[in-house]
Amino acid sequence: MTVATSRKAALEVRGLEAGYGKIQVLWGIDLDVAEGEFVAIIGANGAGKTTLLRTLTGLIPARAGTVTALGRSLRGLSAARVVKGGVGHVPEGRQLFPLMTVRENIDSGADYLPDARARAPRNRAFVYDLFPRLKERERQLAGTLSGGERQMVAIGRALMSDPRLLLVDEPSLGLSPALSQSVFAALKQINADGVTVVLVEQNVQQSLLLADHAVVLETGEVKLRGTGAELLRHPRVREAYLSL
Amino acid sequence: MDTTLLVQALVSGVLAAGLYALVSVGLALAIGVIGIVNFAHGEFFMVGAFLAYQLFVTFGIDPVWSLFIVAPALFALGGVIYTSTIRFVLKAPELNQMLLTFGIGIILQNLALLIWGGDPRTIAGISYRGIGYQIGGVSIGLVPLASFVISLVLVLGLYWMLSSTPLGRAMRAVAQNRTGAALVGLEVNRVYLVAFALSALLAGIGGVMIAVIQSPTPVVGFAFTLKAFAIVVVAGLGNVRGILFAALFVAVAESLVATMVPNGDTLRNAVFFAIIFAVLIRRSWRTV
Repeated sequence: MTVATSRKAALEVRGLEAGYGKIQVLWGIDLDVAEGEFVAIIGANGAGKTTLLRTLTGLIPARAGTVTALGRSLRGLSAARVVKGGVGHVPEGRQLFPLMTVRENIDSGADYLPDARARAPRNRAFVYDLFPRLKERERQLAGTLSGGERQMVAIGRALMSDPRLLLVDEPSLGLSPALSQSVFAALKQINADGVTVVLVEQNVQQSLLLADHAVVLETGEVKLRGTGAELLRHPRVREAYLSL
Repeated sequence: MDTTLLVQALVSGVLAAGLYALVSVGLALAIGVIGIVNFAHGEFFMVGAFLAYQLFVTFGIDPVWSLFIVAPALFALGGVIYTSTIRFVLKAPELNQMLLTFGIGIILQNLALLIWGGDPRTIAGISYRGIGYQIGGVSIGLVPLASFVISLVLVLGLYWMLSSTPLGRAMRAVAQNRTGAALVGLEVNRVYLVAFALSALLAGIGGVMIAVIQSPTPVVGFAFTLKAFAIVVVAGLGNVRGILFAALFVAVAESLVATMVPNGDTLRNAVFFAIIFAVLIRRSWRTV
């Protein structure tokens, strides 16, 4: 991205390569996200979007390249340490604790981070404000929630870690259009609150409308970059992802 | 039927259940939190027993005090075994994991045979072993009673730790979703390490008690692995309360068969496996 050079970088990825076993998925990803930005990563199934996020947070090891987030190199750090450094991750499949209550799940986001724990009451109030339904279901076990509610808990849990950079993986997956809308609106509000957001989505139209910048990922490489509006007009995006 | 004999069998069964529950919760902890079926679990129990024996023979330390030496020693042994072997097979197929723990068990057992030989070892001459109480013709030994109370306290303590402490919450989080746990800032490997070491510690304490109750040989462990396994299967996974009831059920059944059936003592071990068969077959009906 050539724009926004005056702002500090929240995330700087250079030549990132990663994969599973013998299969390499990411082939030299470069990505820049400035502080306060809303960036969307779009692409088809299997393009490497989820793998990219998982590599950024240290859930899978990088094979080459560098990742700097919030001024700190993440190379070789465990997921726990990445989270402690202010990077929140709303993972694919939500990864909640099914036998704990909604409240326990949400609080778990701050329980193991001393700084975040001090701000837990304020952050919890923000989460309940964002998703009033979670307040009503506070005592329900997470395993008994609907898909949309689970997504809200996953986002809430990540927000409890008081992140300055939030990575969100396919929040609209399995949700009704109305529910997706409210999740996207929540992400927009979180971003407006000062959190840098990196959103991975298959809902291309919606995420390009929201994003300041976006990249298109194909077979583990960045194929296109631009502002959300530019990519919405781009013939290749319109043909391949918007079926226009 | 002789009522006194029946009551005696029931009481003996209940008292034995404590130790079974203690060994079983350790096994269940490793299965539930780490997802490892540890066939070496009973060998931790055996190592605890022989450490207590050796501490008594070499230094004259009473088993009551060796509890406080064996517990940290077994915690350390569990930690070393986790760090040097188990953590490398966490993502391996289950069969490989079982073969690994089975192999660790065989190594520990044969090391013990090498050091102590195959004869039963008795901690001789401790004053409290002979103490017992008579209540209406039913006798209750101080040692089985104490082992029951210590076991119960430890099992309930583990239950409390899992349900009400930050460490317990971390263990439940890791058990319920490993990825989620990593993403809330938990070092999953460290939680696994503590869970495995704690599991070995509980087995080791049980071992100290068996060293006083019986005269164990180095092969005592495997029988306890299988019994604990039976109890965990009957209880259902990840269920401390279930383990208490399952231990009570199988221990009383064992005691009743051993006492009331002619030649029943030889059938002790068969009782456990008959119960596993029955429970598993019953469960398969329910899910069809």
